[in-house]
Order: sequence, then C-alpha cells, then structure tokens
Amino acid sequence: MDQAPALYTIRINGHLGATALSAFPAMVSQLQGAETVLTGRLDRSALYGVLAEIEALGLDLVEVRQLTPQRKSPEPGDSRPP
Amino acid sequence: MAPAAPRLIDRGDLLAALDRAAAGKVTIISAPAGSGKTSLMRAWADRPGQPHRLAAVQVQRDQHDAQLFWLALINAVRHASSVASRAEPPAATPDFNGQAMVDRVLLELADHRGRVILVIDDLHELNSPEALAQLTRLLTNLPPRVHAILATRRDLQLRLHQLRLAGELAEIRAADLRFTERETRELLDASGIALSEAGAALLHQRTEGWAAGLRLAAISLAGHPDPERFVAEFSGSNRTVAEYLMAEMLERQPDDVQQLLLRTSLLDRVNGELADLLTGRSGLERILLELEDANAFVVSLDPERTWFRYHHLFGDLLRLELRRTQPEEVRALHRRAADWFTEHGQIVDAIRHRQTVGDWPGAARLLADHAFSLTLDGHLQTIQALLRAFPPGVPADDPELALVRATSDVFQGRLDEAAAHLAVAELHAETAPADRQRRLRVAIASVKLSLARRRGHLAGVAEQARFLASPVTGQSDEDIALGSVLRAVALYNLGIVESWALGLEDAERHLQEGAVLAREIGRPYLEVGCLAQLGFAARIHSFATSRRRCYKAIALAGRYGWDTHPIIAPALVTLAANMIWAGEFDEGERWLQRTARALQTDASPGISQLLHMATGMLHAGRGRHREALEEFSTAERLQTQLAGWHTLASQLAGWTLATQARLGMSGEAGACLAALADERANLGEIRNAAALICLAEGNPAGALGALHDVLDGTAPVIGDGTIIEAHLLSALAHHKLGDHRAANQATERALALAEPDRLVLPFAMKGSRELLEALPRHETAHAALLTDILDVVHGSSLMARDQPPPPPTEDLSPSELRVLRYLPTNFSRPEIARELSVSVNTVNTHIRNIYAKLQASDRSAAVERARELRLLSAGATR
Repeated sequence: MDQAPALYTIRINGHLGATALSAFPAMVSQLQGAETVLTGRLDRSALYGVLAEIEALGLDLVEVRQLTPQRKSPEPGDSRPP
Repeated sequence: MAPAAPRLIDRGDLLAALDRAAAGKVTIISAPAGSGKTSLMRAWADRPGQPHRLAAVQVQRDQHDAQLFWLALINAVRHASSVASRAEPPAATPDFNGQAMVDRVLLELADHRGRVILVIDDLHELNSPEALAQLTRLLTNLPPRVHAILATRRDLQLRLHQLRLAGELAEIRAADLRFTERETRELLDASGIALSEAGAALLHQRTEGWAAGLRLAAISLAGHPDPERFVAEFSGSNRTVAEYLMAEMLERQPDDVQQLLLRTSLLDRVNGELADLLTGRSGLERILLELEDANAFVVSLDPERTWFRYHHLFGDLLRLELRRTQPEEVRALHRRAADWFTEHGQIVDAIRHRQTVGDWPGAARLLADHAFSLTLDGHLQTIQALLRAFPPGVPADDPELALVRATSDVFQGRLDEAAAHLAVAELHAETAPADRQRRLRVAIASVKLSLARRRGHLAGVAEQARFLASPVTGQSDEDIALGSVLRAVALYNLGIVESWALGLEDAERHLQEGAVLAREIGRPYLEVGCLAQLGFAARIHSFATSRRRCYKAIALAGRYGWDTHPIIAPALVTLAANMIWAGEFDEGERWLQRTARALQTDASPGISQLLHMATGMLHAGRGRHREALEEFSTAERLQTQLAGWHTLASQLAGWTLATQARLGMSGEAGACLAALADERANLGEIRNAAALICLAEGNPAGALGALHDVLDGTAPVIGDGTIIEAHLLSALAHHKLGDHRAANQATERALALAEPDRLVLPFAMKGSRELLEALPRHETAHAALLTDILDVVHGSSLMARDQPPPPPTEDLSPSELRVLRYLPTNFSRPEIARELSVSVNTVNTHIRNIYAKLQASDRSAAVERARELRLLSAGATR
C-alpha cells in the first residue's frame, strides 16, 4: 500500500457552508454546480479521517478520486534511481 | 424558550417491518447519521403492551475497551431481569476474559423468563475488533426468546453469514428508513405545522425524506411566521441539508439556548452543573430538560435525567460552529471542562479535554497519576488510545508517559518493554519538579513490585516496598486516594512475592493489610487478589486454615463473577493442592480444571508453575508416574522463566528426581542431583530424592545416610510433608535391610505427623503400600487414617471433607473423642479400655454418648458420620 500523500478530490452533494467546511481545514473547496469539490494532499490516514468527518456530518458523498497516482511502475529493472 | 416539539410519529410500515424482523434472531439497522435509527428502535420497543423486556445499551463514543462495552451490556441485561440478583454488579478488572463474559451474558439471557429484546445502539463506535468478535459469538448463540437489534452507521465485520443463511438475520437500511411523503405530512401535522400540500412535498423532496433534516426543519417551522417562505428558501438553496437547517434552527433560539448548545457541544455528555460552568450562567439544567422534552436532538442518559448528550450529528455541527464563531473561547472551555472532570474523578474525559487543547504536560501528568486506577477500572485499551494521541513531538523520555507505558505493559504481560519504560521513567524522574518527585517515586516502586511479582523476582522486593512504611499523606483527598490505590497494589504484589519466597508471616501480614485497605477504598479486585493469595500463605498455620481462606476468597470472587478469573487462580490451585495432599483426588482434579480455565487468559509463569506442579502431584498420587514426570518437568521449565527460586522449587526439584528414579531413570536423576549446588543439595526435599535414588539403586544404607539430616531436623524443609516423606523413605530402607521393627516405627512416625492435616499424598507417592499393610493394626494409634490411606493407595479417591460445611452437632468431649478414634479399628471395647487405661464401663458410657451425639445406630454408622464431620483427625480436638 502506498504510504506517500497523494492529491485527492472529494465530491459532495450540496454546497458546504463555512461551518461544515471548517471540518476540512486541510482541503481547498470549490463549488461546481450543485456540488462541492474538496481538494487536498492527503496520506492514507488523513484520507480516512476526512471520510469519517463526511460520515459524521451526514454529508452525501458522491466521489473520491486520486489525482496523482504515485505508483512506481512494477516492471523489473526499473529499480534504478532516476 | 425551547422549540416546539416534533413528536415521534407512528411509522406503521417500519414498525411492522421490525415486527417481522423480530421473528428471527438478529436485526441490523445500518444507515448514515440522522437516518432515524434510534427513534425507530425507541418507538418500536416503547409501544404499550409489549410482552418483552428491553435491555438497551448505547456504545460510548470511540469505545476501545471491550470490557467496558460488555459490562454496560451485562448490566442492561441484568437490569431488564425481573429476578433480583444476589450477586454484586459486575466490576471491571485489568485482565478481561471476553470468552467468559460472553458465556455469562448468554447465561443471564437464558435465565430471563420472558422474551427479551437486546438493543445495541451506535455500534459503529465500538473500536475493538476483539469486542466485535465476541459479539458475533453472542449473536450466533442467542437463546430462544431473545432478539437483538443493532444500530450502526456503517456495515460492520460481524460475520453473521450463518444467521443470514438460516434466515435469522434481517436488515433495515437507509432506503427503508427514509420518510415517505405521507409520513412527512404526518410529522408536520404532529408538530402543529400548517404547511400546504405543495410545501410539504417540496420539503420532502429537498430533504429526500432524511429523518434528521425533517426533524430540524420541523423545529424551525414550528411557530415560524411564514412556513411556506421558509420551505421555498430552503428549497432554493444549494446548501447541504443539515448545515442549512442547523443554522436556521440555531438562529431562531434565544441567546441563552444558543450559548448553551454551542459551548457545551465540546462535551460528550453534559449536565446542568457543567452547562452553567461553561456558559457562566445558572439554572441551565431546566433548558436541557425542555430541549429533551421538545425532542430537539437532546437525550438524557440516565433515568434521573441529570446527564444529557446531543445527537452526534447535531453535536458535531455545533462544535464546528463554536470553533468557527468563538475560536478564542474554545481553549478556555476545554480547560474548564477538564478541571471539572478531574475534580469529579472522571479522568478519561479530563485527559481528552487537555489533549484537545494541546496541554500535553497536563494530560501526561493526569494519565500518570491515574494509570493504575484506570487499569483497575478496565480502561487498558483506552489508555493505549490516549497514549497514541500524544504527538510524536512530545519527548519520548517524558517520565510521566514512560511510567504510564510501563504500567500498561506490566498488566499486558509485556515485561521486557515494561522494564525498559521503567528505566526511562526512573532516569528522568530526577529531573521532574520537586513536587512531582515523591509521587513519581511511589508510582515507580509500585510498578516495580508488579513487575517483580510477574517475573518471580524475589530479590530486592523489600527495598521497593520501603515506601509502604510511611503512611499515605497528601495535600488533598485526591492525593490520599491515589496513594491508597498504589499502596493496595503494592501490598498485593509484595504479599505474593513474599509468600513465594517463604516469608509467609510477612506475606500474611501484608496481604491482610492489603485486603482491608482494598475493601476500604472500594477495590474488590485487589481485595479478592489479596485473599486468594492468603490461602497459600495460611500454610504456616494449617492446611485447614488454608482451605477455609481459599473458600472465603473463592466465595467473594464468585459474588463479582470472577469464578474463573486469573485473580482467583492462586486460591483455586492452593485448594486443589490441599485436596490432593489429603488424598481427595477427584475433587482436587475438579479444582485443577477450574484453575486451568482461570489461567486461559493470563498464564504468568509463577502461577502456571503451581498448576503443573499440583497436576503432577495428582498423577503421582494416582501412581501415574510418567504423566507426573511430564507435569513436573513442565513446571521446572517454567521455573527457568522466573528470576528467583519459588518457595516450592526444592519440592519440585526433589519430586522430579524421585519420579525419574521411580521410572528407572535413576542414572539420569543421579546426574542431575550431582549437578546441584551444595546449598540446594542440602535441602530436605533434595535429600529425600537422593534417598529414593539410593533405594532405586538397591542401596538402602545410602538412603538412610541421605535422610539423616532431614530426620534430625538439621536440613531445612518446606513443611511436614517433607519429614513424613523422609520417615517413609527410612521405613522403606529399614524394610529392605530386614529391620521390620524400625520400619514399623518409622511408618508410625510418618502417620503421626500426617494425622493433623491428614496428609495422605506422601504415602500414595512413595509406594508405601507394603509398609502400611505390614504395619500391625494394634501397633498404630492412627488406624482411621491408615484405612483411608490404604483406600487411596488401592486407587480410590477420598471424599472431600469440608464441603458443604457439615450440619452442626453437639460437641464431643475430649475423652469421647479419644474413644472415637478407636472405633474405626478392630479393637474390642475391653481392648480400647486397656489402651486408654480406663474401665470398660467408662468406654461403654462414652460410646453410648458418641452414638447419641452423632445420631448413629452402630459402630460403623458412627465412624462414617465422624469421618464426614472430620472428627477422626487428631487436629479436631484443638
């Protein structure tokens, strides 16, 4: 499992106001149509923390997406440093 | 003023669905926050005329300790029972046996006469895989007439597929819980809200039938001057439902209610006093009560309605709002709450609040001060979680945290880690402020004693215990209370270590003091622990005292439901050993089995060693020497894990050698013997083994030589058992040498020593059958004991003598008792008269009185009754 932080976008139904947004201080928010998109660099536990907040606040989660998958290519011989 | 009340409405379809589900064993309600899970369960269970009893628990927020979850559950189950229980309410212990707890809950449930509904709400808060696994076992084994309903925000790993396949599992999910348009209408009507059909439809559409949204809306709508406009604006907004409605609702509240809700939102639970404290106002309990009556997301937690909590979703939003709008207040509020919780002994809450505001030193101090109390109260996993919450930046060598880690390591059996943390704590305790030093030192000494006990580290213990000499002092009641817990823990550990080191008098004194103190400060766990070990320490008096004490400790443990808990294991194994010494093998074996069950969850080497040793004794007594050797060898291997010699180590070593010799391995045994250091080789138990090896090698004269120091009292011995053995071995040696008179005399001496406690075991272990059968009956004053021993040697088990306690009888006089002892023999009345140098008439009178007092019709009935009453041992005259 990749432990390095990665960039995530999280799409939530409805516009989050200042109160709800304050639960996600590490994320930047953007309104897109009727949805709110939260973007931020998160490692695994931060990601699950954010998801737990979303659950706790009864928010309607639409999508979670990793934008910069940092997986190393698994091909053999690729282990040399760049 | 509180908002108007949106009442629970009768959601008939859902209630019917639950009714259908309740025909099976388990219902799971799995749906997001605010879906109306709790309301549904309440509405269903509280319908009038229900033929069931309700046992309901709500899982505490972020519950890490399986034990606390189970204690809450079993208390709810017992509370629901109509049968008053004699037992104490179950209490927490530092070593929790989940398996036994599930069995207990199942028993309690099975004992209920009628139908029971077990409700577990907020199960997603149970942060313990162990507890979930145990719960799975409970659910799959529910007795008939019990139905469980679980509510959770998310699906859990419960592994209930068996129930699912059997059609015993029903699920209710978010979609089922959604309000229909008709139900939305009914909710509005019930709350007295006048809204057009279209308005109601719009509201339903906007909230998507989400229960929390509808209830929040109803609070704002009640008394709203223009409900249609409210719904239209709400509907036109893109804001998320909860946040929008929350803001609306809050805005409509008077200032005092707003402040109350916001400022107390950072508490997991609130009472009137805390509400006043955090808002700087007074009399706010009234508002809490009104809010609950108004069904405004506030629920009381106790029947007296003194503690309240907010619906989690509602509380979380309020907390965010507080942080956003009054950020400068938040720290002070947490501190005030922390102080209040500290003062009121609710330490976990106090520590959490200190951690929330980053008061790490304050949190660490609290945790260190209360580590022992919290552990005794069953918060072991919570302590781990609190420790994890300290940021990595907090110095790893913080003496307070090192002490906490050492404490919890000891209780979890991680002894090397404990020692390492203890070293850190000790090293840095000197740098602690002067006022902390004494308390840290006492706590460190207390952990060291615990560690020494678990390690069997007997040296240097007295040094650690020095602080016990000074009385508990302190500036406050709290200081004294903390000091008392540490003191009781220390006395308990010290007493155990001392009793292992054969300092039985010191052990007895410390354990008695510990038991009294533990009772005074309300720590039954420590009281039971001290009493359990007192049974062993009582060996200095007699086996009978030891037995009595074991029974007493076991009875107290039973009242708390600790019948097969590690804390009582010392009494269980001591009682078993006492019975085996007395030849009551079958009963002894039962107590050994119970000891083994008690040690399933905690088998520290010291107590396990005793169990194996006693099991070896049982096998040896039954003539199964190969099995005995196996047990003795296991016990000896455990000895190597202990840092000091156990009291019984020489006994164990001696028996191991002797059993080897008996099995024809005398060469091996001799080599082991030769390898022993001189000071051990001179112990009575080892000399006995040496004698047995000589006998096995056909060297009876050598055996007599080895026994010389034991018989003349110069070799140190553990107890009479060793001397009895020595007499028997010398009898065997004399027998081999053809000196039957000396053999008989030695046997008679062994019998005389064995009589007071009826120590049958040495005779059974040492192959004394031939000696005993050769002993002329008229030459022994211990005919009754002899008969018993021969029974045992021939393979039977004696009846346990003192359970249940015999019915009271009129006491026999000393002279009657003297006559009574001859009744089991084949002496005639004139022969008895001659032996006792009295007239035959006197003997006749005594015998008549004996028959009357024992309600016996003849000699054999009198003997049987006298055996039951334990009147045949010489000790009974005392």
